[in-house]
Amino acid sequence: MTIGARIPRVEDERFLRGEGRYVADIAMPFMVEAYVLRSPYPHAHIRSIDASEALALDGVEAVITASDLPDDLPPIPCRIPTHGDLGPYLQYPLARDRVRYVGEPIALIIAKSRAVCEDAAELVEIDFDPLPPVVDPEAAIKPDAALVHEAGNLAGRWGFDLGAVDDALKNATYVVSEKFSIQRHTAMPLETRGLIASYDVGRNLLDIHGPTKVVHTNRNVLAAMLGMGEAEIRMVEPDVGGSFGARGEFYPEDYLIPFAAIRLRKPVRWIEDRIEHFAAINHSRESAFEVTACADAEGMITAFDVRLVTDMGAFIRTHGDVVPSHAAASFPGPYRVRNYRIDAMTVMTNKTPTGTYRAPGMFEANFARERALDRLAAKIGIDPAELRRRNLIPADMMPWHVGTESVKRPTIFDSGNFPHVFERALEAYGWDAPIEREADGWLRGRGICALVEPSGLGPFEGVRIEVDQHGYATIFSGSSNQGQGHETVLAQIASSILGLPVEKIRVRHGDTGIITFGGGTYASRTAVLGGNAVHSAAVGIRDKALKTASAKFDIPLEELSLREGEIWHGGKNEPVISLGGIARMLMPGNPEFLKPPSDMNMPDNDGLVVTSYIRGVPGGTSAFAVHMADVLVDPRTGDTRVENYFVACDIGRQLNPLIVEGQLIGGVAQGIGGTFLEELTYSEDGQLTTGTFADYMMPNVYNMPPVGTLVLEETKAPGNVLGVKGVGEIGPSGVPAAIGNAIADALKATSGLNILPLTPERVLAAASTVERP
Amino acid sequence: MKPAPFEYHAPRTVEAALDLLESEGPDARVIAGGQSLVPMLALRLARPEALIDLNRIPELSGIRKEGSTIHIGAMTRQAHALASSLVFEQLPLLHYGLEHVGHPPTRARGTIGGSLSHADPAAETPAVMLAYQARMVLRSKQGERVIPAEEFTFGTFETALEEGEILTEIRVDARPEEGTSLVELSRRRGDFAMASAAARMSLAEDGTCASAHLIIGAVAPVPLRFDAVTDALKGRTITESLVREAVELMDLDQFEFDNVDISLAYRRKIGPVLAERALLQAFNRAEGLRK
Repeated sequence: MTIGARIPRVEDERFLRGEGRYVADIAMPFMVEAYVLRSPYPHAHIRSIDASEALALDGVEAVITASDLPDDLPPIPCRIPTHGDLGPYLQYPLARDRVRYVGEPIALIIAKSRAVCEDAAELVEIDFDPLPPVVDPEAAIKPDAALVHEAGNLAGRWGFDLGAVDDALKNATYVVSEKFSIQRHTAMPLETRGLIASYDVGRNLLDIHGPTKVVHTNRNVLAAMLGMGEAEIRMVEPDVGGSFGARGEFYPEDYLIPFAAIRLRKPVRWIEDRIEHFAAINHSRESAFEVTACADAEGMITAFDVRLVTDMGAFIRTHGDVVPSHAAASFPGPYRVRNYRIDAMTVMTNKTPTGTYRAPGMFEANFARERALDRLAAKIGIDPAELRRRNLIPADMMPWHVGTESVKRPTIFDSGNFPHVFERALEAYGWDAPIEREADGWLRGRGICALVEPSGLGPFEGVRIEVDQHGYATIFSGSSNQGQGHETVLAQIASSILGLPVEKIRVRHGDTGIITFGGGTYASRTAVLGGNAVHSAAVGIRDKALKTASAKFDIPLEELSLREGEIWHGGKNEPVISLGGIARMLMPGNPEFLKPPSDMNMPDNDGLVVTSYIRGVPGGTSAFAVHMADVLVDPRTGDTRVENYFVACDIGRQLNPLIVEGQLIGGVAQGIGGTFLEELTYSEDGQLTTGTFADYMMPNVYNMPPVGTLVLEETKAPGNVLGVKGVGEIGPSGVPAAIGNAIADALKATSGLNILPLTPERVLAAASTVERP
Repeated sequence: MKPAPFEYHAPRTVEAALDLLESEGPDARVIAGGQSLVPMLALRLARPEALIDLNRIPELSGIRKEGSTIHIGAMTRQAHALASSLVFEQLPLLHYGLEHVGHPPTRARGTIGGSLSHADPAAETPAVMLAYQARMVLRSKQGERVIPAEEFTFGTFETALEEGEILTEIRVDARPEEGTSLVELSRRRGDFAMASAAARMSLAEDGTCASAHLIIGAVAPVPLRFDAVTDALKGRTITESLVREAVELMDLDQFEFDNVDISLAYRRKIGPVLAERALLQAFNRAEGLRK
């Protein structure tokens, strides 16, 4: 059984040997390079653009501005349902007469090299008329604020009001009210974005290398924007050095580069540089929570009352308002709380537009809720774990309907034995084991976070499996791979059904030319949806092969099975024919099956090929997880060191434990970045002040503690045959809460540590609120 | 992130470099390890007309001892100096300072002289040289001059280097008998410090403090010397409480840097803590040397 086997990723060899093929590794004859000229102003009218000097520079091919684009060009659409109409806030590929954030594309410069493009960019004369920038979301929703869009800075205000929150607050024995803020930061894939588009004018075919994540959706969006047939465009995903939700959405460049290739009739390549990336990629996470949580005398949480303000940036992008939507829908977390109210506001500002980043909304909500719960536990006078223990949703109440919805789908925790997993987690970490409170003048603390991570969202996923006459199977997948290991995991699933070694199974993905429909890769969905599509298609292949062999050799079907690439006759214990042999028999050219005239055609003469599409369960499937950390704090400087980190989760079933652990550990690293270091800051006048890796700090090896994991397979997901739950976003989701709680525990701090990132200065401020001998 | 066009020269001797510096005029810049200048070029924050590359001038590299003076060629790689047993034995503070400079790949390219000439206020090398009262050898077509470290670094990215002049060598008196320490706090290891403290200490026969130096970096345009603190230690038996009292003599008004993410108030809180820790570690190391 290869499902569940701890096998190294088949992708690793090419990556480790430097043989990966990324978009910047692809070149074409007559190719030219593109550069996006971006706004230096956060908010300004564009009075005029004069590109004549730039065009005169040797090597410059074109300077494309908004006036060169079709008059009826629609804005980039949102690809998922939103709360209310966000149409007025959508972005056009190029700014027309007004720019709204530093980095907004104004013109596309095309030249023989990137260096010439950048020289030319300095020669484009743009007459700006600066407008007052709107930087702070709280200020943006005041009545006298300057307007980012005529439709108003408050793009949406919505929420939920479940149960009787006011009554609960009135009757509560313990109440805490806290404000939390999560800083703007985002995905920093090692490889930046990039596209190369080439256009075959005679046949009206457009090929684009570089898209990822949701290539079919993007292809369809582009076809609509260019007025082309969907099959006239092919998007192909190369090797991709990370996405984490940000790379692969449809950005202005995803229209501009193909448009330029059509216009110039030359292949056009654009490779985003890191400076661009900082200003252009979807930002994420910037939000402020006000949380009131209350409990009765027994320590049962009776209500959450929340106000959430999310900074959306200057435009609504393809994700709409899904980040605050997820945060609002899942805020109550793994607790049995029926009185829940949230007032959510989405606010436009003159900053880079926002989108999803690994564990969107959950990272934020978990931080606010779990820090508030530690305060509540302190007020009640019980151990933080005890408060959680008393309030977890019991197993017999599953599936648990939170009563909320996100992207027009109900929020349902489909399954899980949270209390059992919680106790296993505490035991494995040794939560109750005593700790040395002091070491060399540093103080030690321990923190916890419990959470539910949704996964497997989105409507469908599909694969086609083809077996060739040499016995190789190829899985053509509608999902994309940016480093998750799909080439290995999907092969493992097929291997288990087909009895083929993983080495004889190829996985191709991220290419609109290989499968008609694809959902894509987001919301930790590939194992859940793509994996089950592979399972279903592989079962189809197996049945087709065995039936064909049964008919051909006149052996009862029940005596046949697949083993090591052969069909075995169980009774005689010998191979009958190879899988490749069956595939050869089923090829349309086989006269035994396919004889003229056409009415002699046999059914199933289309090769050993099966296509399978799987529909998702509306609420997806939810995994319960517990994060715990031990942190050392220097009370004199606010310096911190995470000594130990631990994640326990129940994901139903592991397809490959090595990849599961890798996802958890890598996710924790990303969470540590968001907890201590990473921040996209803006000056008061709207300039992005973290524009390089000198200012935007990623975690490195020195920041990483040992990360222990406990991966349980206790409760299978009921909505899919494999029983799997997504694991991709559990890693980062609880880190700031667990670490924040650990630091507070170390310092015995009763205030502070509510603002991310937890800089030494903020930690020291929390330390200085505590009286010490 | 592509530099604006520039002329490129790679002279093989200091003489040739100085000739080029003169002929190319004020819009030329010398490039050493490139760890600061190359990013600035890529960002077009620096746009010299010409670059004069010092990497192919062998006479600018190397560390040697002449008498009791250590001569460090300006183009000596930070990695080389960090690995040098001569530095570790004779100028231990430089060794400890270099441990905090960037990462192995940046130290493999970055040079001692490049860091000094760049004069980033948070860089460790200028603080170390100030602590050692090093002498800087500056050469131009007009000849050579030698100036003390405290006159070399002026302010943020500002040095005494004049047009047509190159830092060619750093001369430091060997100090094998001292305990030293460089303690700093940065958001992430290898990054520029929020504050750093460099300390030297030598002990008298009776174990009391014979001499000490304390430099605080990253809090003002130039590294700051706090003689009031070290004067209070001289002739005294070093204890934790004595050092803690002494660092209270630091004139925190000299701290200047105040940023959104690292406030002046915070730097004033951690500066004395780091000073205390550096002085105590220097003392402990000095004790270790006494056997």
